Amino acid sequence: MAAAAPSPLYPFEEVPSALSGITWTHTNGKSAQKYLPETTGAGCAFLDYDGDGWMDIYFVNSGECDFYHPDPPLRNALYRNNRDGTFTDVTEKAGVAAGGFGQGVAVGDYDGDGFPDLYVTQYGRSILYHNNGDGTFTDVTEKAGVAAPGWSSSAVWFDYDNDGRLDLFVCRFVDFDKSKHLPCEADNKPGYCIPRLYKPMPSWLFHNNGDGTFTDVSRSSGIGKYLGKAWGVVATDINNDGRMDLFVANDTTANFLFANREGGRFDEIGAPAGVAYSEAGRPRSGMGVDSADFNQDGWMDLFVANIDHEMYSLYQNNHDETFDDQAGAMGIASATRLMSGWGLKFFDYDNDGNLDLFLSNGNPDDLIQVYHKDVEYQEPLLLFHGTGKSFENVSAQSGPVFTRNFSARGLAVGDFDNDGGVDVLISMNGGAPLLLRNNAGKLNHWLGLTLVGSKSNRDAVGVRVTYQAGDLKRSRMKTGGGSFLSSHDPRLVLGLGQRTKVDLLEVKWPGPSNAIERFTDLPIDRYITIVEGQGKWK
Amino acid sequence: MFRPHHTALLCALLWAPVPCLVSAQTSASGKTSALAADVASFAERAVSLAQSGRCKEALPLLKQAKLQAADRDLKRRIGFAGVRCAMFVQQPDAAEDFLRLLNRGFPHDPEVLYLSVHTYSDLASRAAADLAMTAPLSAQGHELHAESLETNGKWDEAAKEYRLVLEQNPHLAGIHFRLGRLLLSKSNPSPADAEEAKKEMQAELEIDPSNAGAEYVLGELAKQNQEWDKAIQHFSHAAKLDAGFGDAYVGWGGALVSLKKFSEAIPPLQTAVKLQSGNPAAHYLLAIAYSRTGRKEDGDREFAIQQKLTQKGAAGEPAESSQQSPN
Repeated sequence: MAAAAPSPLYPFEEVPSALSGITWTHTNGKSAQKYLPETTGAGCAFLDYDGDGWMDIYFVNSGECDFYHPDPPLRNALYRNNRDGTFTDVTEKAGVAAGGFGQGVAVGDYDGDGFPDLYVTQYGRSILYHNNGDGTFTDVTEKAGVAAPGWSSSAVWFDYDNDGRLDLFVCRFVDFDKSKHLPCEADNKPGYCIPRLYKPMPSWLFHNNGDGTFTDVSRSSGIGKYLGKAWGVVATDINNDGRMDLFVANDTTANFLFANREGGRFDEIGAPAGVAYSEAGRPRSGMGVDSADFNQDGWMDLFVANIDHEMYSLYQNNHDETFDDQAGAMGIASATRLMSGWGLKFFDYDNDGNLDLFLSNGNPDDLIQVYHKDVEYQEPLLLFHGTGKSFENVSAQSGPVFTRNFSARGLAVGDFDNDGGVDVLISMNGGAPLLLRNNAGKLNHWLGLTLVGSKSNRDAVGVRVTYQAGDLKRSRMKTGGGSFLSSHDPRLVLGLGQRTKVDLLEVKWPGPSNAIERFTDLPIDRYITIVEGQGKWK
Repeated sequence: MFRPHHTALLCALLWAPVPCLVSAQTSASGKTSALAADVASFAERAVSLAQSGRCKEALPLLKQAKLQAADRDLKRRIGFAGVRCAMFVQQPDAAEDFLRLLNRGFPHDPEVLYLSVHTYSDLASRAAADLAMTAPLSAQGHELHAESLETNGKWDEAAKEYRLVLEQNPHLAGIHFRLGRLLLSKSNPSPADAEEAKKEMQAELEIDPSNAGAEYVLGELAKQNQEWDKAIQHFSHAAKLDAGFGDAYVGWGGALVSLKKFSEAIPPLQTAVKLQSGNPAAHYLLAIAYSRTGRKEDGDREFAIQQKLTQKGAAGEPAESSQQSPN
C-alpha cells in the first residue's frame, strides 16, 4: 500500500476551532435598518495578560447600544493560552466581557506594573480595564477619564512626550447615533451608507498623569482641531527626531500625519507629506494602517489600505517629511484594486530578515455587487513577501487559506506557540475568528526579544533595534498600534535566515533615556528579555 | 376705411396666419392692448388645437404665434405645443426651432430641459433607425451599432462590429481608438487587455497621428506600468496635439512628479490648472511640485484650492467608491 503523500507545508495554516478550543464568534447584529457600526467591527489582540510568557487572545464583540439590544447579551472574550496549542475562555473570571457595541482593543501597560492593560473601544463609550496581576481586571474608565464618548475605533498606546509613561490616542469615527442614522438603499434594498454622508469628528489624545488618571490634551496638542473619520492609527517616528508621530487613516476625508513637535504639540502635515490623498488629489477610504522601515534605509515608511477601486498605498519615506507612493511599483496597487483592506501588518513571517506584509480584506457593503459585479463582499487574504527593497505577491503559492474569501476586519500578529514563527489572528465581521499558525518562521533562525523599559515606557514603544548576523544587518522599530482595531504581540522577532549567530545587537531606548545598549554572545532560536539599563539579557 | 379691430378678429376667427396678424399689428397704432389681446387669443387657439391633437392645423399657427406672443407663460406653452406637434408631424427642424425658443427664454427650467432630452433623444433614435434601414452594412451602420453595444456594456459584440468597420475601411480614423478604449472599459481589464489596447492606440496613431486621445491613453497605459519616461512622452505629445487637453497636462505633470522632477512638472501643471480650474488632481500635483521645490506659499495656496474642491465634491458629487448614497 502506497504511503500518503506528505501534505505540502504552506507558510500559514488554519488552526481549526476544534484544535484551538476557540469557540467564540463575532456577532455583527445586522439589522434591516443597516446601522453603520454593524459592518465595521471588530478587533482582536495577542497579549500575555498573566505574564507567563505565552500569548493569550482577546476578541471584541458587538453589544448593547441605542440601536441594538441583543438577547441574550453578547460579550467579548479573553482566551488564556494553555501552552499546548489550545486556549481556555477565561472572560468571566477576568471580568473583561465589556458588553457595549465593541470595536477595537489596544493593549498597553499604562501603569508600568508589568501586566498589560486593556483599552476596549466601543460605539458609545470605551472602557479601560486595569490588569490586577491576578488574572482579573478592573474597569477604571471613569477614574482614568478615558471614556471617549462617541464612536471610537482604533486606539494606540504610545509615549508622545517621552516622559516614560504610555499615553493614549483614540481614533474617533463619524458623528453617529441612532437618531442620526441615514437610510440608504441599493437596488431598492436598504444598504449601508457611505461614511461621507456623516459628519467628521476630532480624535482624542490622553496624557498619562502617572497616577492612574489621564488628561484630555486633544485641544492643547493640536490634534483635536482636525476633523476626520478615523479608523486606523500607528505611532511611529517618521523623521527620526525621537518623538513618536501618528499616522491616522480617515475614511472619505484626508488622512492625517500628526508630526510630533516639541512641547507636546502636533502639526498635521498629511497633505504636504503626500499621504493624505490619492494621486488624483481626492480623499480615499482609509482603514488599516501600519509603519515599518521596509527598505531598510533607516526611515519609517507608511502603509494604508483603502476601499475597492482606490488601491492601497505604500508610502516610502523621502527623509524630509515627505513620502512617495510606491504601491504601483511594488505590485501592491494592482493586487488591491478591487479589495477593501482592514487589518494589516508588516512582519518577517519567514525570518529571512526582510519585512513582509500580511493584508486582510472584505468589502463593508453587503450589496456591493449591485454596483460592481467584479467586486466581492468577502475577499481573500493577501501575503506579500519582502525582498528588503520591494515586495512580491506570494498569496497564490501560500496555501489553501489564501484561496478562501472572508469578511475580515481586525488582524493581530503574535507567536502564540513560541516557535519563533509569528502567527496571525484575524477577526471576522459576523463570524468565527481565524487563527493561522506560521509554519515558515521556524525554518530559519531567529532571536526573540522582550524589551522592558525602565526609564522609558515599560512596553518600550518607540525602541529601535539594530542587529548584525554575518552579512545581514537590519534594524527594527517597535511601533505602537498598526493594523485595524487590533493589538499585537509586544515582542520583536528578529529573522536571521540560515545564519547561526547574532554578532551584535544594539538597542536604542526611547526617551527620556534615549540610552543605547549593545549586546553580543546572544543565543538564537529563543526569546530573551532585556531590561533597559541592566546591560544584560536573560 | 381700414378697421384693424375687425380685421384682427376676422383673422382669429378664420385661423388665418401671418398676413392678418401683421396687418393687424401694423395698423394698430393707439390700440396696442387690444391687439395684444387678439394675438393672445390667436395663440391660445393654436395651443388648444395642438392640445386636442390637431397638430397639422396647429403647427402653422404655432409657428406664427411664437413670433408674436409677448406673455411669458403663453410663449412657454406655445413652445411646448410646438415641439410636440412638430415631432408628431415629422418636422424635426421645426421642433428644434421651438426647443431653441424654449431654451433661450427659459434656461434651466427643468421641464424645458426634460423636454429637450426626450426630443433630441427621439431625433437621434429616428436618425439611427434611418441609418439602420437605409445603409445597415455601411461603415457608419456598423459603427453606430457598435456604439450602441458599447453603451450597453456588450464589449465583445461591440468589438466585432468595430472590426467589421475596419474590414470595410481599414484606414478609417477613430475605430482603432474605440477598440482600444473598449478593452480598457472592461470592469477589470487584464494585462493582456491593456497590451491589446496599446496596440490599437498605436494603430490609430498610424492612421491619424493627430489623435491626441490615443496619445493620452498610451500615456495612461505607460503610467500604469510605471514607465514614466514613456508616459511623459505620450502625455506631452497629446498636449501638443491638443493645447486645450487639460487631462494630458495633468498626466504629464503627474508623471514628472512621480520621477521627482518637481521643477519640470510645474509648467505643465500650471497649464493644467488654467485649463481645469475645478480639477483637484491638477491642484494637488501642482501643490506637491511647489512644496517640494521650496515654494511653500504657492504650495499651500494650491493645497487650499484642492481641499476646497474636494470638500465641494464630497458635498455634491456621487460616491466615488462602491458605497451608497442616501435614498
